[in-house]
Amino acid sequence: MKKITSLLFPIVSGVALIAIWYGIIILFKIPIYVLPTPGQIITAAWTERHAMLASALLTGQGAVLGFTCAVVGGFLLSMIMAFSLRLKKSLYPYILVLQMTPVIILAPIFVLWLGQGLPSIVAITFMICFFPIVASTTSGFMSVDKNLLEVFKMCHATKLQEIRYLRIPSAMPYFLTGVKIAGTLAPIGAITGDFLAGSAQNGVGGIGFMAITYFSQLQTASLYASGLVACLLGFGFVGSISLLHWVLLHKWHDSLIKKE
Amino acid sequence: MIPNSGDCVILEGIAKRFTKDDHVLENISLKVSKGEFITFIGPSGCGKSTLLRLIAGLLKPSEGIIHINGKTPELADSDLAFVFQDANLLPWRKSIANVALPLLLRGVPKLEREAKARMMLSLVGLNNAENKYPWQLSGGMKMRVSIARALSISPKILLLDEPFGALDEISRDHLNEDLLKIREKDLFTTFFVTHSVAEALFLSTRVIVLSRNPGRIHTTIDVPFSYPRKPDLRESPEFLSLLAQTTRALRAVL
Ligand SMILES: Nc1ncnc2c1ncn2[C@@H]1O[C@H](COP(=O)(O)OP(=O)(O)O)[C@@H](O)[C@H]1O
Ligand SMILES: [Mg+2]
Repeated sequence: MKKITSLLFPIVSGVALIAIWYGIIILFKIPIYVLPTPGQIITAAWTERHAMLASALLTGQGAVLGFTCAVVGGFLLSMIMAFSLRLKKSLYPYILVLQMTPVIILAPIFVLWLGQGLPSIVAITFMICFFPIVASTTSGFMSVDKNLLEVFKMCHATKLQEIRYLRIPSAMPYFLTGVKIAGTLAPIGAITGDFLAGSAQNGVGGIGFMAITYFSQLQTASLYASGLVACLLGFGFVGSISLLHWVLLHKWHDSLIKKE
Repeated sequence: MIPNSGDCVILEGIAKRFTKDDHVLENISLKVSKGEFITFIGPSGCGKSTLLRLIAGLLKPSEGIIHINGKTPELADSDLAFVFQDANLLPWRKSIANVALPLLLRGVPKLEREAKARMMLSLVGLNNAENKYPWQLSGGMKMRVSIARALSISPKILLLDEPFGALDEISRDHLNEDLLKIREKDLFTTFFVTHSVAEALFLSTRVIVLSRNPGRIHTTIDVPFSYPRKPDLRESPEFLSLLAQTTRALRAVL
């Protein structure tokens, strides 16, 4: 019963929203190039489905590659910084500097180095995803339960054992939180990358690139449709990461344990 | 069993300061024979935990020397195990893997350490909990796992810091009786901290009352009852009179 009502609310509000949407367009006679109807958007998405799919794949590729590099790189860097406080103190300020530099400014630099296209898009996605992972994973490695550290000390654990059997598992929830945040940012990062550094390979660009094209041609319905595709891509991304989160933590972590 | 002769742990003029002018512990001298069961009791903040951590080698004394079988604690602590006030289990490991942790860290092969861990779990009465995670266990069960973990390395010296402080009286009495049973089999030297006079007397060969600011040895009470001790010892007149005497000593330092 609870499940049905919890489904009912968003459906009702969605239907209401679409009705208002149609109402406004009819009432104020808004032309299609300013605000298309949901039906027109769906139609545009369907007629352009091949281009949409290709651009989603391209952007998805940039997002996955940049995100993966950020996850692996961020985790390793955090672990290295957990090994040595001195190293952390020497590196962290510069990671912050990099984070504070706006992507809008970094993007042209990447294009100068790597050219238009996928490598630059991956680099931009990486830059956007990297910091949340490093920040939360590092705090995970640092905020290990002091009492558990003493258990390891009593057992004469080596630094390597301490990292492997204590710090990595304790940092896992923090790391996955960082990964989740990065996951919501990755598709946005890749689309921003398309926008700033994309190119049309064989006439097909990423979603960001397509959006610019549709905009310049005043194909507003298609522009909205590309927004819809970007949304679906984002949900796919976040959904897969939530699944990973669950797989890794559901057996022991408070946040996922269902207590009767 | 009667404690063997021969000193096992010697504390000579131990003092501990965390800052220049606080005196957490002062002039603690103590000789403990192999197999003794020593309990420290005293007001909160008098340095009981600090004293155990000094013996464990987790802290260094500001003054004085600690000998464990002729060695300093850092060199001797392969034979030392600590049971902390909170069970301190790793939440991502099942009971059996928690118990096997000290063996894992010593490089004992998987099959061997799991066999040992299983043995220890049955020793503390938890055969059925081997595949449970800490969140699936009650407070008393967690403490049992923690004790099993400490025993997995067959320690010569076992230190327990208010291990049963958070438990209800029934679980506490049960665990006390079980702890004595385990000790019968494998006669380790025990250092124990509690707030409960009855618990202290029921378990120990000697109860040491500490005073506060600075923490000093106020009184030592020798407990004459022989082992194995039956649960109904707690109601015997001798026990009750010793209980009254110890409570008076404790009141003097509060
Ligand atoms: N690591 C520490 N650093 C500074 N002061 C400490 C530390 N550990 C304990 N103390 C101080 O030493 C005193 C005794 O503490 P503790 O040994 O925990 O007492 P007890 O276990 O008897 O309650 C307390 O005043 C406490 O604040
Ligand atoms: Mg204490």
